Amino acid sequence: MSRSDVLLMLLAGVTAALAALVAMRADITRARAGKIFAFGALFLLPALSLAAGYSTQMERAQSTRFCLSCHVMTDYGRTLLIDDPGYLPAAHFQNGRVPRDRACYTCHTDYTMFGGVTSKRRGLRHLYVQYLGTVPPPAQIRLYEPYHNRECLYCHEGARTFEEASPHNSAPELRPEMKANRLSCTSSNCHDIVHDVASLSDVTFWKGVTLP
Amino acid sequence: MRLLPAERRLEWAGGLIATGLMVEIAVSAWIHPLAFVTFALVACPLVAAGMLFFLWSLVSPR
Repeated sequence: MSRSDVLLMLLAGVTAALAALVAMRADITRARAGKIFAFGALFLLPALSLAAGYSTQMERAQSTRFCLSCHVMTDYGRTLLIDDPGYLPAAHFQNGRVPRDRACYTCHTDYTMFGGVTSKRRGLRHLYVQYLGTVPPPAQIRLYEPYHNRECLYCHEGARTFEEASPHNSAPELRPEMKANRLSCTSSNCHDIVHDVASLSDVTFWKGVTLP
Repeated sequence: MRLLPAERRLEWAGGLIATGLMVEIAVSAWIHPLAFVTFALVACPLVAAGMLFFLWSLVSPR
């Protein structure tokens, strides 16, 4: 548990105690000092606690641990450890090209609560399916929309390894097409081995890192 | 001591806020989508309702 988590719990705990005190002794608000106390205990501090809690929850929702906490995502997490640089997520995770504690969110930035209303609704539906519905096998899970090159280019655009790579310059229109998302990085016979969970039984795993 | 109607609302406000914050504390050590949903759909509405009760007590006649 981090220091900010402890501070959040302390703040919420103290605020809850003060709010409970007002609930048990509402007559203290008859005095002027009591009114000021009630304003702090029933408005200012709760608003601060909620804001801090919201910020913490949103930050946690970006963590690899959060994403892999549902059983169906376990195999997707294991693909990060595959001992083969041809697997795109594994190469990024193992070489530190994405922060390991935020590996999923770095590449899936518009997923569930971080996307639009439709994505948020999908996130709730995922929870429903996880606990009350029929969870599909991991190999049958697909993205709702084709993967957007924007996520790749956020880091790679302008990088020398990207701009000067010979396959990216084999035709003059190639890079403009990629940048306009008309030519997908992940499904144009280029970087097309991504989370291939169906192949997990046939691969070996690198032991150099562990999942957060 | 007999409480005024506005003080009754303060009782409710305090109770709702304390309950909501206890829920927030309970889920704050748990990294899981259910913790997020519990925070968003249980803790937040309870605390917000408590704050609204408090504001209501301010504008209601004593």
